[in-house]
Amino acid sequence: MNVFNTLIRAASEGGEPAAQLPEYAPLLLILPLAGFLFTAAIGRRLGKLAHLVPLGAIVATWGIAMSLAIPALLGDLGEHGASSELFTWIASGSLTFNMGIHVDALTGALLLVVTTVGALVHLYSVGYMSHDPGYWRFFAYLNLFMFSMLLLVLANNLLVVFAAWELVGLSSYLLIGFWYTKREPGLAAKKAFITNRVGDVGFALGLMGLVAVFGTLDISTILAGVEAGQLAGPAATVIALLIFCGAVGKSAQFPLHVWLPDAMEGPTPVSALIHAATMVNAGVYLVARMSPPFAASHEAMLVVAAIGIFTAIFAASIAFTQTDIKRVLAFSTLSQLGYMFAALGVGAWVPAIFHLITHGFFKGLLFLGSGSVIHAVEGEQEMPKMGGLARKIPITYATMLIGTVAIAGLPPLAGFWSKDEILGEAFKFGYAWVWLVGMVVAGATAFYMFRLMGLTFWGKSRVSESVHVHESPWTMTLPLILLAIPSIGIGALLGFPFADGILVHGLEPIFHPANVLLGHEHEAWTLFGIDGLLMLASVTVASIGTVIGVRLFRSDNGDRIRAITARLQPLYVGSKNRWFFDDLNDLIFVRLGTRLANAAWWFDRRVVDGAVNGVGTLTSTGGRGLRQIQTGRVQNYAFGIALGLAAMAVAYLVIGS
Amino acid sequence: MSDLTQLIGGLPILSMITLLPFVGALLIALLPSSRPSLIRVAALAVSFITFVLSLLMLPGIREFSSEFAFSEQISWIPSFGITYHLGVDGLSGALVVLTTLLSWICILASFGPIQNRVKEYFISFLILETGMLGVFLSLDLFLFYIFWEIVLVPMYLIIGIWGGADRIYATIKFVLYTLVGSLLMLVAILATAFSHQAATGSWTGAFDLIALRGTITDPTLQALAFGAFALAFAIKVPMFPFHTWLPDAHVQAPTAGSVILAGVLLKLGGYGFLRFAIPLFPQAAQDFAPLIIALSVIAIIYGAIVAIVQTDLKKLIAYSSVSHMGFVTLGIFSFNQQGVDGAILQMLNHGLITSGLFLLVGIGYERTHDREIAKMGGWASRTPVYAALFGFFLFASVGLPGLSGFAGEFLVLLGAFLVNPMVAGAATLVMILAAVYLLWMYQRIFTGPLSPFLKGLGSHLTDVTPIEIATLAPLAAMIVAFGILPSLLTNAFATSVAQFLMYASGGLIQ
Repeated sequence: MNVFNTLIRAASEGGEPAAQLPEYAPLLLILPLAGFLFTAAIGRRLGKLAHLVPLGAIVATWGIAMSLAIPALLGDLGEHGASSELFTWIASGSLTFNMGIHVDALTGALLLVVTTVGALVHLYSVGYMSHDPGYWRFFAYLNLFMFSMLLLVLANNLLVVFAAWELVGLSSYLLIGFWYTKREPGLAAKKAFITNRVGDVGFALGLMGLVAVFGTLDISTILAGVEAGQLAGPAATVIALLIFCGAVGKSAQFPLHVWLPDAMEGPTPVSALIHAATMVNAGVYLVARMSPPFAASHEAMLVVAAIGIFTAIFAASIAFTQTDIKRVLAFSTLSQLGYMFAALGVGAWVPAIFHLITHGFFKGLLFLGSGSVIHAVEGEQEMPKMGGLARKIPITYATMLIGTVAIAGLPPLAGFWSKDEILGEAFKFGYAWVWLVGMVVAGATAFYMFRLMGLTFWGKSRVSESVHVHESPWTMTLPLILLAIPSIGIGALLGFPFADGILVHGLEPIFHPANVLLGHEHEAWTLFGIDGLLMLASVTVASIGTVIGVRLFRSDNGDRIRAITARLQPLYVGSKNRWFFDDLNDLIFVRLGTRLANAAWWFDRRVVDGAVNGVGTLTSTGGRGLRQIQTGRVQNYAFGIALGLAAMAVAYLVIGS
Repeated sequence: MSDLTQLIGGLPILSMITLLPFVGALLIALLPSSRPSLIRVAALAVSFITFVLSLLMLPGIREFSSEFAFSEQISWIPSFGITYHLGVDGLSGALVVLTTLLSWICILASFGPIQNRVKEYFISFLILETGMLGVFLSLDLFLFYIFWEIVLVPMYLIIGIWGGADRIYATIKFVLYTLVGSLLMLVAILATAFSHQAATGSWTGAFDLIALRGTITDPTLQALAFGAFALAFAIKVPMFPFHTWLPDAHVQAPTAGSVILAGVLLKLGGYGFLRFAIPLFPQAAQDFAPLIIALSVIAIIYGAIVAIVQTDLKKLIAYSSVSHMGFVTLGIFSFNQQGVDGAILQMLNHGLITSGLFLLVGIGYERTHDREIAKMGGWASRTPVYAALFGFFLFASVGLPGLSGFAGEFLVLLGAFLVNPMVAGAATLVMILAAVYLLWMYQRIFTGPLSPFLKGLGSHLTDVTPIEIATLAPLAAMIVAFGILPSLLTNAFATSVAQFLMYASGGLIQ
């Protein structure tokens, strides 16, 4: 402990917020990092025991995280949280970028999801990956991811956030491409990293803009500066939108959404942890953390809301027709993340984070459940080859049903509370269009999720005869059960009483500056007024979606479904093919990009190098002529040298005078 | 001063560092050619001792109050005021250690691959080391020029004798290109000296960097001389459009040649700008800055785009060097703290990272005798450690934060942003392009099913040997260390940057 103590003491000279984090707080980063280094170094020799250290590290991390997250959410760390400075990372003249950690209610919310789902995914992987030869490698990467993700939410300097942003990208790359001897995972991993980098260019430039304005990337200094009005007008819009580019990439929003469905090539625990519950939330976290710069620009907020709500409906429309169980969930994730951005864009900060938490739990549950299904049917992911699994894998079925009801937004499960708040605030802040599209998405969500349940669990079995369907081992079902609990209860726990729950109290001070900039005020919640009506409306559309979904997919309704799709053929084809977005990208970036690169290379060889070789040829031709001067007689050379010196002297007299 | 600094301060430590490899080369010349392993060990020992000496010298640099530490100045050609003048500061000290480190790594990496004319090879390599060290430590323009030209000869031999099939074309191109630049630089050095003599009536200090800085006021001389220096350095960096010698030289050079070329020789250009061209001719440098910044951004983007379609592994990394070295000139000519700090970091980190990549390519070539990307595939399944090491250096090259490449690139971009956000915006696009060409290459070579070509190699496709790990481990360790604590480096050369910025702003002219 003394080491950390001195580290902290040595670097904490800024003395900004009075509150100091306990001296064990850096263990949140050190434990997963140590787990990664240990397992990467000797994990291979540990065989089937390779999970012990990484799993233990994460369980311990979970305990420490809870000991900080709960007080943070309850406001016991003070309104602005607590910090520890660790060391100076990059210094250039008077400009320094410090490594330090900060915990407030927003961090607490993220810690809650990241470490809980993280620990459960580690446990689940003990069962899911048990037959994989890369068992140790998998746990090493998972620990690396946990370190990076925790660094991302804990860092108090945006450059460190950016570093962690890239490191989660690396872990995502490694885990998507985990089964590297197959072709597709390698391609998907590469696509994910490159697509993310497109957004990161914007993020990086946004950071440079912030340095130009504030001379620092220390988050609290920047936010205080924005609050004091140091960033406004077009500069605020440009910087906010550049940072938003990063969020669009990491959280897979349109038009950078293309990487996430392909990322399902990774093992399913990875899909649950990274590509549903944690890393993809990083963009939401970033915008929420930087809420004042966004709130300082009406245009930026509008773009965030528009991109979010468009992604929500766009992705939902694709989820309707996908047949791969994980792809449905992937598009559902895009759609739900879109919801969160729509919420941020209308200034519904707390509901956005609320939805991030509830979604993290129920989507983590649904993904792990899909993994259990895939495990049960021996690797099959196509829902048309499933059906009737409810009785054969009852725990998986029951827990996934809970997840489905939760995401559908039916009360009193978790999703209802957060989704209702998003829709309600969108309406009340005057964004009727966001509310209206959001309502459609809410209904659609319920529909496609019950379609998933129906195709997988209900009706007659379409599973191949040779497959022996079996429930998963306890290491896999226990995490499902443990995730089902928050999927049921976390909404009411954090969100009740309405507009006055734990989360509102905890987060309100953090979003206060942004709300002041937006002119939003905290109003009392009225059951027998507008709020009650809005709630009724959102429950109604969720119920309609549920009823249609259940009725269509309850039993084998193949003919009716085929009839409906036949009538909507163009829509069906568009949705099935993801509205041809991947093909468009392929055309623009891969085909035309390769052409451009080839043209550049042609230019390099023929024009740039061609000129050099041309000079060379000219010289050697000239050289043959000049060879006659090379007589081998010293006098001639001496004469030449004298001539040269004379020429230099003349040149000097001309230039030098 | 510490005891160590006092002890070595009493010795001509810089001369010892510079000349030890040359003395080693002379001693090796006396060894019989029939004892190749003795020659190898001797060369390794000489280069390793040089490395240790340079490490001992390093901490002392900051203990001197003068700009240059451990100075040595001996009159050499008094009639023209030419002296043997050596000195070291944080900037040159870091580059000297990079040179001595890469030299012994290269010599160790050559143990296996170099099997014919072993004696001549190691003699050439040690003379090359002396030349490079001399360039970094010279404070006299004439002496600097001598060392600058000395570098050329052994490099010419290393590529021309131990290189690949097309080595003659590549060496002639390399030598002619470099000679054109350096001859013009010689003319500029002479013109500067003549002008100094004309102005002061004495030859004293006519070739001395310290004496000359801030005294050259004639704008025409500034412009012409800067142009000549800049051309010589631009060719070495290499800047667009003077870069086409580099891919050919890299492809034909033996592994160690490629490593030293990328690791040290390209840095001579950046160092030349920082130490000579800009402090001597600051006004002209400011005037030329927009052009050089434009060419740098072109190099950054264009090099990366051309790298995407390369089919030869070494060519791909060569073009990536063009792109990465564009950051160096972009940062230097931003003329601000962040840009220059970033540029120097980028020089050092490119030296560590790209050297590692070339070593890895060489390790692969030893097994496959091929560098054609299309023939590879699924390599990771056969040699996981090799694949992991390659991945490590590759992500360092992509600029992953936490590894050393990031800090330099970010500071350069930041420096450029503070001058002109549009320039930074264009250059930042390389973040995408670098990921495209490097990850594409990695995916093609290492992932997927094992290619028929690699399968055909059977048991020849072995994983890395302990010696190979020994060549890579120091680089990897430094990449991690300077990724987490880049301030170790920026603190080391802080004084040099402050001095540079003062002279670059023409501080002493007014």
